[in-house]
Amino acid sequence: MFIKLFKTFFLLIFVGTLYSDTTLIKNATIYDGVKNIPFVGNILIENEIIKRVSSANMQADFVIDASGMIVTPGIIGTDTNIGIVEIGALSVTRDDSSEIYTIGFSIHDAFNPKSTLIPWNRSNGVTSALSLPLGTSSPIGGLGSYFLLDGELDITSNKDVVMIGNVGGSSNKSRAETFAVMDDLLSFASSINARDLSNDADIADLIEASPIADFMELHPRDVKALFKLINDNLPLIISTHRASDILKLIELKEKYNLNLIIKGAQDASLVASQIAESNIPLIINPINNIPESFDELASNIQMASRLEKKGINLMFNTPRSHNFHLVRQGAGVAVANGMSYEAAIKGITSTPANVFNIDQRGEIKAGYFADIVIWDADPLEPSSMPEYVFINGKNIDLTSRSSRLRDRYTTQPEKPNTYRN
Amino acid sequence: MTNSAKHSFLFALLFLCFNIALIAKPFESTYKPLPSINVLIKNANIYDGEGNELLQTDLLIKDRKIEAIGKDLPVTNDFEVIDASGKWVTPGIIDIHSHMGVYPAPGVRTSSDGNEATSPVTADVWAEHSMWVQDPQYTLALSGGVTAFHVLPGSANLIGGRGVTVKNLQRVTINSMKFPDAPHSLKMACGENPKRVYGNRQQAPSTRMGNIAGYRKAWIEAEAYLNRLNEYETKSDEAKEMGYKPTRDLELDTLAGVLRGEILVHNHCYRADEMASMIDVAKEFGYKITAFHHGVEAYKIADLLAENNICGALWADWWGFKHEAYDMVQANIAIVDQAKGGTGCAIVHSDDAIGIQHLNQEASKALSAGIRAGYDISKARAMNWITSNPAKAAGIYDQTGSLKVGKNADVVIWSKNPFSVYALAETVFIDGGMAYDRESGFYPSSDFDVGIINANKNRLEE
Repeated sequence: MFIKLFKTFFLLIFVGTLYSDTTLIKNATIYDGVKNIPFVGNILIENEIIKRVSSANMQADFVIDASGMIVTPGIIGTDTNIGIVEIGALSVTRDDSSEIYTIGFSIHDAFNPKSTLIPWNRSNGVTSALSLPLGTSSPIGGLGSYFLLDGELDITSNKDVVMIGNVGGSSNKSRAETFAVMDDLLSFASSINARDLSNDADIADLIEASPIADFMELHPRDVKALFKLINDNLPLIISTHRASDILKLIELKEKYNLNLIIKGAQDASLVASQIAESNIPLIINPINNIPESFDELASNIQMASRLEKKGINLMFNTPRSHNFHLVRQGAGVAVANGMSYEAAIKGITSTPANVFNIDQRGEIKAGYFADIVIWDADPLEPSSMPEYVFINGKNIDLTSRSSRLRDRYTTQPEKPNTYRN
Repeated sequence: MTNSAKHSFLFALLFLCFNIALIAKPFESTYKPLPSINVLIKNANIYDGEGNELLQTDLLIKDRKIEAIGKDLPVTNDFEVIDASGKWVTPGIIDIHSHMGVYPAPGVRTSSDGNEATSPVTADVWAEHSMWVQDPQYTLALSGGVTAFHVLPGSANLIGGRGVTVKNLQRVTINSMKFPDAPHSLKMACGENPKRVYGNRQQAPSTRMGNIAGYRKAWIEAEAYLNRLNEYETKSDEAKEMGYKPTRDLELDTLAGVLRGEILVHNHCYRADEMASMIDVAKEFGYKITAFHHGVEAYKIADLLAENNICGALWADWWGFKHEAYDMVQANIAIVDQAKGGTGCAIVHSDDAIGIQHLNQEASKALSAGIRAGYDISKARAMNWITSNPAKAAGIYDQTGSLKVGKNADVVIWSKNPFSVYALAETVFIDGGMAYDRESGFYPSSDFDVGIINANKNRLEE
C-alpha cells in the first residue's frame, strides 16, 4: 500500500511536468542507433525535438537522472498489423484485407490509434510501426503505412510508404507462375506514364491494353500504386524464404531497379553473398530456427550472425504484433548466437528508419524527433522494461490495459473485483 | 526401497486392486538411455529445481543418477571432471505442453496429426500414435536444455485424447522415446476451439454451454462403464464364466482411467469463469484436474487453483490471437505461484517449437513481471516453473525435475545465468548420457535433416 501511495504521489509530481518545454536526460548510457560504441551523455529535448546530445551540462524544466541506464531510440516496428488488427481470430476486428483492391489496397484509413496493442507495445519500448496488409491475391500488392504510436486520434503517419508481396510458401500454384506474373506486372508498371493517370477512363484503357492487368481485373487504384512503386522507388517488401527464390528476386530487382527488401528469408545464409552484393536489406525473425516449410530448410539460430558478417543490413520482426516488442528478445537471442550488440540495436531502430525513408527518426541525434526509451536494464534482455518512453518529445504514460488488469487483481482485495479500479 | 521400486510396488498394487485383465497395457516404453558417463561437475552455480540456489557447488553424476551435490566433492580418477566455474547448472528443462511430433516441421498437411477433429469426444486416440519420431524440432529443443516433454493432442475437441511424456532422445520408434512409467494424460479443451470447430458444422457443441454438456455426457458414460467393469470384477470366477464380459471400449477405457486416477487431466482453458466451471465438472464426477493450460485469465482465480491443487501451465505473455486470450497480464505466472501464501503451482509452458527452446527466457520474463507486481520471488523458485513443477504435472517428479540425490541425471550446464537472454545451454545430460554438447558440435540429427539441402551434409551443418 505504501508503495502504491508513493507511486501515486510520484505520478502527481510527474503529471505536473509532462508538458514542460524542455527535458534533460542526464548521464545516460546512449546507444544512438549509429555509433558502434555507446557513450555516456546528456540528451536535451525541446518540445518534439532532440535539441542537443552532449557531455556538457545543460539546464531543463524537467531532469531525469539516467545514470547507469541504457537509452536507445524508440523501437520501430517493421512488420506489424498494429492498429489494424485487434484480435487475431476475430474477423470483425480485422482491417488488413480487401476483396476489391489488390495492388493498391492501402490499410492507412483503417488505423485505430485506440487499439489496446498500442499502449502495451509502447510501454515495452515500441514507439512507431509500419502496419502492413495481410497480403492480397496479387503476388505484388498491398500498401503499408507508418504510424506513430502516440495513441492520438489525430494520427501522425506516413501514408503508403511501402508495398508488399509474396512468393513461394503455401501456395498450390507454381512459383514459376508467380514470378511470371510479377515480371508482367512490373513490365506493365514500367510502361505507365504519369500523363496516363490523369483520369480513371484513361487508366481503364491502360488496363484493357495490358493482358495481365486485364486478366487480374485491376482497378485504377491498383495501377496508380504500381506506377508509384516504379516511379517513386517505393520500398517493396517481398516475403520469401527459399534460396532459389531469393536469387530470382535479385534478378527482378536488377531488371526493374526495385527498392527491394526481403522478409522471412530463412534460406538467406545460402545466398548471403548475392544478397550483400545486391545490397538488399532483410527483415528476419532471428529467434525462428524452425524449418516450418520446405522453403525454409536452412533455418538456423545463427542466421543473423552469419548475415551480419556478410555486411547485410538486418531488421527484425516477430509474427505476433500484440507483442511486437518481443523483437528485443529475438535480437537478444541473435546476440547470444554471435551477432554484434550494436547491429542488433540498429536492426530495431535506425536501420528500419533508413530503409523505409522515415525522416528524422530512429536515432538519438540533434534535430531528430525525440522518440526515446530509457530502460531499467539491458533492452535486449526480455526481462527489462522501459522506465520512460518519449514519443515526439512527449513523456508517455506507460499504463496499459494489461497493467490495469494486473493492478485490479493484485490490489484492493477489500472490494469485489468489478468495483475495483 | 528406491523411488522406482516404490513406484513399481504401487503400480502392482493398483494392478491387484483393479485387476486390469480387461485393459491390457500395450505400447509400453522400450526406452534405453544413451551410454552413460560418470561426471563430476565442479564449482557450478546451481538452481536445483527445489527452490534452492547453491553457489560454487559440485554435482556428481554416477550410474545415470545424481550421486551427490556439495562443496568440494573429492576428485578421483573414476570420473570425468567438467570445470563449471562461472557457469550455471539446472535440472533438465521440461515442457508440459508440446505438439512436437504431432505437428512436426515442416508444417504440412501430410504430417499434421494433432487433432482428430471428427467428433467432439475422441478419448480413444493417443498422441503417441501420431508422433513423427523424425521431427527435426526435437534437437532444437534439446539445444535449449529440454530433456523431457509432454505431447498433447490439439484443442479442437472437448476431449481430444491421450497425451504422452517422452524423453528428448530421438529414436526410430515412439515406444523407445516414451518416458518409462510416466502416466498418460487426457487432453480436454474449453472455450472457442471446440465450439468453433463443431459449431461451424452445425453440430454440438456450438456454444460454451454446449461444451459443458458435452463433457458431462461423456463422464456419465464413463461412470457407467467403470461400474460395469467393477461389477464384473467383483463376481466369482464361476459367475464370470457364466456371464458376459463387458465389451471393451477404447474411448471409455481412457475416461475410466481418469476416474481411477491413473490418467492425469490436462485442460486447455483460457477464461477464469470457464476454469471455475471445469472444476465443478471435475468435482461432480470425482476426477482431478492436474493443470489448466494457457489460462490467460488464471490470475483472476489464482486462489481457487491453489485450493484445488491445480497447476497453471501458462505463457509469459501471449495474448490477443483469440478473444478468450485478450486479458493478458504478464504477472499471471507469478500470481498463480504466489496464491494462498505461495502454495500455488505455476508452470511455464511453450505450446510452440520456438518457445520450447527458450523456456528459461520465458520464465525470466514471468519472474520480472512478478517482481514488478510487488512479489518477492527468487530466481531459484522461478526455476521450479520449468523443472520440478512440470515434472509433477507430468507424473514423473519421482524420477526427474530436480537435482536431488538418487534422481535421474537430467542436467543442463548453462554458459551464464539461465535467466539471461545471453545464456546458452552448453551441455545436456539425459539419464547421465551426454545428449548435447555445444562446443564440440555434438547433437542428434533426425533422418529428415540428412542431406536435405546439400546431399553431403546434414541440415544444420554450415
